[in-house]
Amino acid sequence: MFPADFAYARARSLDDAFDLFDEAAAAGEEAKLIAGGQSLLPMMKLRLATPQVLIDLADVAELKRGQWTGSGHTIGALTTYRQLGRGRYVYRDGTPAPVNGAARLVDQIPALGDALAVLADPQVRARGTIGGAVAHGDPAADLPAVLLALDAELAIASRRGERAAALDGFLHGIYATDLAEDEIITHVRVRTAGAGGSAYEKFPHPASHLPLAGVCAVIRLRDGLIERAEVAVTGISPCPYRAREAERLLSGAPPAPDALAAAAARVTRQDGEEVSLLGDQHASGPYRAHLAEVLARRALATALDRARAATGEHATEERP
Amino acid sequence: MEGVRVPAARELSVQLTVNGAPRAATVPARTLLVHFLRDHLRLTGTHVGCDTTQCGACTVALDGVAVKSCTVLAAQADGHEVTTIEGLAAATQDGGDPADDALDPVQRAFKDEHALQCGYCTPGMVMAVRQLLADHPDPTEDQVRHALSGNICRCTGYQNIVAAALRAAAGGAGAGTGTGREG
Repeated sequence: MFPADFAYARARSLDDAFDLFDEAAAAGEEAKLIAGGQSLLPMMKLRLATPQVLIDLADVAELKRGQWTGSGHTIGALTTYRQLGRGRYVYRDGTPAPVNGAARLVDQIPALGDALAVLADPQVRARGTIGGAVAHGDPAADLPAVLLALDAELAIASRRGERAAALDGFLHGIYATDLAEDEIITHVRVRTAGAGGSAYEKFPHPASHLPLAGVCAVIRLRDGLIERAEVAVTGISPCPYRAREAERLLSGAPPAPDALAAAAARVTRQDGEEVSLLGDQHASGPYRAHLAEVLARRALATALDRARAATGEHATEERP
Repeated sequence: MEGVRVPAARELSVQLTVNGAPRAATVPARTLLVHFLRDHLRLTGTHVGCDTTQCGACTVALDGVAVKSCTVLAAQADGHEVTTIEGLAAATQDGGDPADDALDPVQRAFKDEHALQCGYCTPGMVMAVRQLLADHPDPTEDQVRHALSGNICRCTGYQNIVAAALRAAAGGAGAGTGTGREG
């Protein structure tokens, strides 16, 4: 099984990629970017995607570099899941991040470590990239839930210049995003401040490992109460989303199991109504919604434990 | 980088280092790495199982890291290093199967623990276990099972494969399996 015929070129810079976009457009051909290809190539083999030109970004060095700032971290779009998990991405000046040092992103954001441990399998994690995960717009991708909960922003480049976009709002629906045909995601920026109290829980499909439902929760404590919480859900609706009704219930709430359960019970509601649910032969919409509630309780409980550990408070005695 | 950018093409000259030797061929752009290895280089130890990135039978090391070669284009591997199951142990002088003492420690552990029946998944399993031991030289049973989540075996029930991974680890197989090329 192999993809439909296409022409391939490896861009060496963003300008190269823009030139290739222009050449394809001039020839009336559909061009598509490829990074790790772990989502795109399977779709091409099934002829669900049939680009006529494939532009490989693997050699574009500026997409591999990340950057520290005070409260956040900018990750190069070509950073693989494996590199993210092991801290083997490089900073903007080209120096590699320490593998076991305190700078490991997964230590600062435990939810990211949770997701990277259960995302696909080790071989896929060695190739798949964070930029690809966002650009692909898969309704059942793990990482977008974590990134949404961390208020991720995308840096996007095109011939017209650079722009920033919040991930919340960028994802539109099934394989649909706000990315224009001539645009390239260059970096993903995540917040690390207050991310210590975070967790990701999923219910994987046993063969594909995709989440039938996945929930990321982030909790920050202040004066013995939940100051703020972020909750993001994937796998159950046309695109991953922030569960803002659940978040509102948690804001200012006591960090107790019944408060977490009450918020989890609202995790499939948005703007006063139930989110649009996806169902297929693997799991019905209502079953996925049920999973999301259970996983939200678990993710919130773990996030709370971690938030308490980060602030030196006691762990929860009861777990849902 | 220097030079003129190569325009998009449906046929490509691909040059890579396979099991330590330079190999080159001109192939259609859509050629998958697994087909390049099997059909162009006649390295048929790498198997095609599910062909959908799930079973892991096609696992090879690309720049020293285990990947599924059914989900990598040969063009993406251009200029890189690939190690296949054939690269782990030298054949005998007349081209026969490697002698026992020439086997990779992971291969020998698979043999000692009877970690296969039909053998179809075995090359991918061996490559995945080598990656595991490079990353975690002393894994727990749970870590072995988790690390093999991308490899499917329909014969063994995994028990003996896990035993083989643990035996290889106990024998120190994890030391020095990484190539250090990983970026």
